[in-house]
Amino acid sequence: MRTVTDKHRQDSWNIEGGGALAVDPHDLREPLVEGTPKPADVTETVSRVVESKPTRLWYATVTVTGALAGWGILTILYTVFTGIGVWGNNQPVGWAWDITNFVFWIGIGHAGTLISAILFLFRQKWRTAINRAAEAMTIFAVICALIFPIIHTGRPWVAVYWLLPLPNQMEMWVNFRSPLLWDVFAVSTYFAVSAMFWFVGLVPDFATLRNRAKNKIARIAFTFFSMGWTGANRHWHRYEKAYLILAGISTPLVLSVHTIVSFDFAVSVIPGWHTTIFPPYFVAGAIFSGFGMVLTLMILARKLLNLEQFITVKHIENMSKVLMATGLMVGYAYGIEFFIAWYSGNPYERFVFINRAFGPYSWAYWTMVSCNVFIPQLFWFRGIRRNLLITWIISIFVNIGMWFERFVIIVTSLHRDFLPSSWGMFTPTWVDVSIFAGTVGLFLTLFLVFAKYLPVLAISEVKGILPGAQPKHGHH
Amino acid sequence: MAALDSQTYTFTDKGRFGVIALGTGIVFTALTVVGAFTDSHMFFASWLTSFAFWTTIVLGALFFVMLQHVTAAVWSVVTRRAAEALALALPVLLLCFIPLTFGMHDLFHWSHAEEVAADHVLAWKAPYLNTTFFIVRGLVFFAVWIALAFVLHRRSVAQDTDGDVAHTYALRKISAGGIFAFAFTVTFAAFDWLMSLNPHWYSTIFGVYVFVGGFLTCMAVLLLIFQMLRRQGMLEGVVTIEHFHDFGRLLFAFTVFWAYIGGSQYYLIWYANVPEETVWFLARWDNGWKAVSMALIFLHFLVPFLTLLFYRVKRNTVLLRTIASLLVVMHFVDMFWLVMPTFGPGVHFSWMHLTSALGIGGLVMWMFWTRYTAHRAVPASDPKLADSIAHRV
Repeated sequence: MRTVTDKHRQDSWNIEGGGALAVDPHDLREPLVEGTPKPADVTETVSRVVESKPTRLWYATVTVTGALAGWGILTILYTVFTGIGVWGNNQPVGWAWDITNFVFWIGIGHAGTLISAILFLFRQKWRTAINRAAEAMTIFAVICALIFPIIHTGRPWVAVYWLLPLPNQMEMWVNFRSPLLWDVFAVSTYFAVSAMFWFVGLVPDFATLRNRAKNKIARIAFTFFSMGWTGANRHWHRYEKAYLILAGISTPLVLSVHTIVSFDFAVSVIPGWHTTIFPPYFVAGAIFSGFGMVLTLMILARKLLNLEQFITVKHIENMSKVLMATGLMVGYAYGIEFFIAWYSGNPYERFVFINRAFGPYSWAYWTMVSCNVFIPQLFWFRGIRRNLLITWIISIFVNIGMWFERFVIIVTSLHRDFLPSSWGMFTPTWVDVSIFAGTVGLFLTLFLVFAKYLPVLAISEVKGILPGAQPKHGHH
Repeated sequence: MAALDSQTYTFTDKGRFGVIALGTGIVFTALTVVGAFTDSHMFFASWLTSFAFWTTIVLGALFFVMLQHVTAAVWSVVTRRAAEALALALPVLLLCFIPLTFGMHDLFHWSHAEEVAADHVLAWKAPYLNTTFFIVRGLVFFAVWIALAFVLHRRSVAQDTDGDVAHTYALRKISAGGIFAFAFTVTFAAFDWLMSLNPHWYSTIFGVYVFVGGFLTCMAVLLLIFQMLRRQGMLEGVVTIEHFHDFGRLLFAFTVFWAYIGGSQYYLIWYANVPEETVWFLARWDNGWKAVSMALIFLHFLVPFLTLLFYRVKRNTVLLRTIASLLVVMHFVDMFWLVMPTFGPGVHFSWMHLTSALGIGGLVMWMFWTRYTAHRAVPASDPKLADSIAHRV
């Protein structure tokens, strides 16, 4: 039996009964941080990023992503002043890139709350190193998502009457029977709760930064946002309570948002849309795509911000496993949908699925299947799960695959109407491409600003998982 | 009264549970078989209900074991051996599958050649829905499940004696592939045994619905088993209130998940209002079925949901036991609700439902108890056992 003296714990935590800390020889739990950093090291590492001047690389990247976002805004203005006829949408493909992008971004926004809420309830301590960044990503992704339905209304300045049930003299009411309206409620609730959850988690870290701030503006800002946090016992007690309650509230939201999004399609009678597996299948897909994006960003961020000690290969491996599990769930849904399309005996159902796989959009279908089902199978190998470069490349494929999943569901189901005389094809215009690229730029810009000016790691939470921070009983 | 050595976790006295279970199993199975000669139609319908009820529960145990290995769960290590033993009741259920193959014409509309010839949809499905392939598939499903249950149990028991941590890693790998095989076999079993009772009707989520109900009920059954062991003075300080609390959390989570799956299935069909789909729910609403459907909503979901929401309820063994028992009963009602509307209008609860449930259940529990008491009551050399007992999660 290996026994280590946990000197650091005795020194800085003064937990009753400190001393020899027994380590199980078969301890299957890999440490969540590398080395033996002190709590002060965590503060130092994370705060240094916030307090130092932005690097040239940061300026260069923000310029590129900001330009992309600016181009997106210009093309949005062009759309609004000209009309949404500048998009590729047509009859019968009345929904296309707009809602594809909406669902794509909403899906990306699922990892953050899953990590901060569901993994918290599942007592997955490895979540602490990635939850802050993932929650930020969630909020930015939802912002990007919200752009599409709003501009698709054509006249966003009156959309408030179409999206919210506001009493008005025109006696114009929203359609309560439409899942699109429930989307408004579901997504705005999700956005509000996610933002609140994120903010509550940030409060103790704001206080840390406030105490360290040398610059006047930073001190005023951090003082304001830390809301008088002193780190008193009572503050921590209430903080933990609030965190648990927010986790409880957020958990059903993780499921409800994409369930409602799936209803946008599944309540219709369109073959390929109307199928009962949609709600959990969409939720699994959302988590899959969300983790794909977290991996894409965090593998880079941990390197650039020198956080390898806290976001370890173990974290990357765990996320790869989540990616594989949810990818298989999505694959299961593809398979069952295909089987039932045959089993139903309904020629329209059957046609849609054969058309998806072998029709004019088969290239999109097989891109989706390859990226979402075939390629993530590489994660069966431990060596690949722990290889950062390969994992990063696979995560990019997942991002691509999940965009194509929404494209395939939406466009292939619409482009072949019940009557062959109403068949058509969809081709995106340069405006479609520009607005989507613009949201990518906006998302990355917001993330870069976050990564520079706010603590990317939850400082106080990571301190809680340092070796020795958890009182261990039952000495062997 | 059974007894357990608290040091080695070996059973010093196996008690009478096995004998009582076997006696119950034999007597009630025999009674049900008598019913086969009075009303063969009702015999097969009630046998299928009870078969589905117990099979889904036992499959829940198989899944629970694999889930623990894949997630490297710590809290549940003390409960794993019982789940492994429960999964070993699958061979009993394979035997219970055989009578169904004699009742194909009573149970499955699509098994009548003349019906298929007159119905082009059934003719289309005939390559899948035909008696030979149905039986072959059933045997394949059981082969996969039994193989998994045996491998998972054997490795786990082997670790008791050799203490080799390699078993833990091997079991994790087996379970990862096992869950993959499990997902498809359970789905198609649900399609075959339950969904194809209405051969025109289809729902892509049906497999998940059947699986979730079984897994939820398995958690309830395991909770009841551990409370029984604790009341007999076994596993004192091993399976503690912390573990019951976790079972309570799982009951809460999965009763919500069950309602989510069942609710969205209903909702999407109701909203789209396509006659070929709504017919299935209409048959579960008219002719007295409304009460059963409402009972499912209230007693399978709302009552457990509203009670298990509270911390104190999840740490109160009497209340937990009551809710777990309710969920077991409601899972039977759920299976009854899936199977019986096919067999004519009106709610027909026969005495054979009761006897077959007790008969198959007795045999399942006898097999479970025999397998459970043959080895240590917990995975004694599992590297995570100490953490599990102390609930260091």
